[in-house]
Amino acid sequence: MKDQGAPVVLQVEDLWFRYPSAERPALRGINLTVQRGETIGIIGSSGAGKSTLCQAIRGIIPHSSPGEVEGRVKAFGVDITSELRVDLGARIGLVLQDPEAQIIGMTVAEDLAFGPENYEVDPAVIAERSLRYLDLVGLHGLLDRDTYALSGGQKQRLAIASALMSEPELLILDEPTSELDPLGKDQLFAVIDRLRQNDDHTVIVVEHEVDRLVRVADRIVVIDNGAILAAGTPLEVFTGPGVYARTAGERLPAAAELIARSTDAGLLINPVATLDLEDAMAQIVLRLETAR
Amino acid sequence: MSETPIIDVADVHFSYGPGLPEVLKGVNLSIQRGEFVAVVGQNGAGKTTLAKHFNGLNKATLGKVKIAGQPVEDQALAVIARTIGYCYQNPDHQIFSSSVVKEVGFGPGNLGYPPDQVNSLVENALKLVGLTALRDAHPFSLGRGQRQLVAVASVLAMDPPVLVIDEPTTGMDRKGSAAIMELLSQWASDGRSIIAITHDMDIVAEYIPRSIVMSGGEIIADGPTQEVFRNQAALTRAHLVAPAAVVVSDRLVSYGVKYARSVDDAVQQVTSICGGRRSHAGRV
Amino acid sequence: MPVGYSIYRDRPSPIHKRIDPRTKMLWLVVLFGVALSFNQPIILGVVAVGLLLVARVAKLTWSDLRAFLLLSLWLLLLSVAIWPAYIHQGSMLFAVGPVAVTGPGLLFGLAMGLRIDIMLIAASIWMMTTSPQLLTAGLLAIGLPYKAGLAMASAIRFIPLMNAERVTIVEAQRARGLDLAHGNPARRAFRAAPVLVPLFSRAFLTAQNLTVAMDARGFGAGKTRTNIIRLDFTPLDRMICALAVIVLIGSVVLRLMGIGGLIGGTG
Repeated sequence: MKDQGAPVVLQVEDLWFRYPSAERPALRGINLTVQRGETIGIIGSSGAGKSTLCQAIRGIIPHSSPGEVEGRVKAFGVDITSELRVDLGARIGLVLQDPEAQIIGMTVAEDLAFGPENYEVDPAVIAERSLRYLDLVGLHGLLDRDTYALSGGQKQRLAIASALMSEPELLILDEPTSELDPLGKDQLFAVIDRLRQNDDHTVIVVEHEVDRLVRVADRIVVIDNGAILAAGTPLEVFTGPGVYARTAGERLPAAAELIARSTDAGLLINPVATLDLEDAMAQIVLRLETAR
Repeated sequence: MSETPIIDVADVHFSYGPGLPEVLKGVNLSIQRGEFVAVVGQNGAGKTTLAKHFNGLNKATLGKVKIAGQPVEDQALAVIARTIGYCYQNPDHQIFSSSVVKEVGFGPGNLGYPPDQVNSLVENALKLVGLTALRDAHPFSLGRGQRQLVAVASVLAMDPPVLVIDEPTTGMDRKGSAAIMELLSQWASDGRSIIAITHDMDIVAEYIPRSIVMSGGEIIADGPTQEVFRNQAALTRAHLVAPAAVVVSDRLVSYGVKYARSVDDAVQQVTSICGGRRSHAGRV
Repeated sequence: MPVGYSIYRDRPSPIHKRIDPRTKMLWLVVLFGVALSFNQPIILGVVAVGLLLVARVAKLTWSDLRAFLLLSLWLLLLSVAIWPAYIHQGSMLFAVGPVAVTGPGLLFGLAMGLRIDIMLIAASIWMMTTSPQLLTAGLLAIGLPYKAGLAMASAIRFIPLMNAERVTIVEAQRARGLDLAHGNPARRAFRAAPVLVPLFSRAFLTAQNLTVAMDARGFGAGKTRTNIIRLDFTPLDRMICALAVIVLIGSVVLRLMGIGGLIGGTG
């Protein structure tokens, strides 16, 4: 069933979508191709259409959440927009923002088992996977814990583990750290980093935490007003002329902001594009040295 | 001339019940009228627990808390609400009315003000947050950022001299964060005391003059943000990371750059230091 | 005080670990049946003591049971105080106002109290010895449709969440001057809108998001599902179930034969 070799995991082709009672479309002609093993970071302001896109990629839109749709999403080469493909559900995982609204089981074990149980996976396999994915997300030893007793950060990591239990090839994370404190954010991004090191996982992360995001993303996609404003490597998107227009006013990684502002102020003439704060500061230091 | 602090916390200890571990372990704090203060720290450090002592929701197990010189334990919550306005993190934990006006009027109504006064308090609060045009809108039809403003307006309508706001920028994009922080700064310069509980170090550096760092139920640093954010020992102990603005200005301090509130601020300082002098190595 | 999903207490007892939830369910029904069969206080008293022994075997402690025992005691006293007003057989012992209190009246009150106590304590022991997962698994095994079981489990899942939300909402509204402490119950209920509206809207929203999460994890993907919980109906279970059936039939028969009835008829 899994075509392990297929390089293109996701293809969004000219996707338009409008919610039933909305005046304007939420998605306007999205085109996106994702290769196997990539980690894609999506940024954009609130209401830009990021969550809508995530749900469309998973097939929740338009099947569970109807509306007017044009264009298509092809997952693993199959059109999942025009027809409901339940068999592909296990291959795409989705983790949402609110930790509370994703916990289904009363214990960690029960929550982890929910997904594979739905796909009729053998209990022995479920047990083995549970331990493996708990380790991956750093919740080792908490198999029998009651889920209400977990912290917000632990609940989010459990949500990721539970999404991984059906062994999806594509994992979508929609603002997973927005309700977490800095330590929680670090731990969650560490999980994304671990997933990234496994070539089989393709990950799409929607986030506002750009500094952490650029450390794990192969490509960044900027969504503004339902359309893709810019796409490319983090360096391509966050550095170079026109960066503010390209990123629709969202926060820039610190190094990028430093270089952009310095360039605008005439301090740096031909800056070396970098997302490393040390390298960026070194360029400023050089400028200050030569001005002495 | 020493003025009575608007909030005075003296050696406060707190635990949720006898035999339960202490969540606050001897906190001392004094906030003057008109100050704009940030309380930072990880979840579990005791920030919200401490803040709930200010409006009487938590009663100290040991030590004393005084609001405007009066001990908090002597006063009813409804009375304290006239002095301390507490705005919760999630506006959906407060909003229940069918119109913004009714929602904002709930607080002053509870305080027993006559209808005319309630109306003028409501209008004023709506003006302060910029929601006058949406006065008749249904709060649930508004976006998250606007609902946040409705919640803040609801608290401001009681016209408290002190506003405590919990995580004002969580889950917001850059525009939303900037908007709320600009408003808070404006109210602070108008004379309102503001206490912001947050873990967003960037906005603290940019907007908030005084910072209190909490860790493990104690205050481990308290002072001007520019000093506190350079106290690496305290930040490390609290599992916090200094914002980029501080990292950059620290790096450039030997060139004359002083504490920067934001990366942009640092760049502006560097620009004026370079004084328009062209770099000798400059080339196109 | 943290509210969990249930009052389940995990103990290393045979009742927890070696008995199938279905067996325990049957015994609960049987105990109800036994309590309803008799109205003789001595027999009911013996059953009640037997229950306490079962609690002992289940390694439940006094603090686990305290709330239920206190409630039971209170109901017992209430019952003894009230029933003599309705039962007038036998000779009068003393009078309380217009009510003639007789021996049989007191004993009947005692019996009725014990009856309720048995049902209360049996139900609480049942809940304390069966985890919600096993309980749900047991119900599914006897034919409850999966969706109903999931709905039930989700409802239970919401209890601690809604409790925490309620606490936060009440605090937030009290900080806006809402007064829930004074006034008669009717007026206080009316004032509860500021708590109930946000609470219900949070519940709806969370439930809606939860359905998206369930969809995303394949709910309803196949016609059947596997379950990590496997129930094992052992010979021990068979024996205990057989015993339960015998006890129930025996109780009914005895009562019909006139034994165990303090006062005739079906009372």
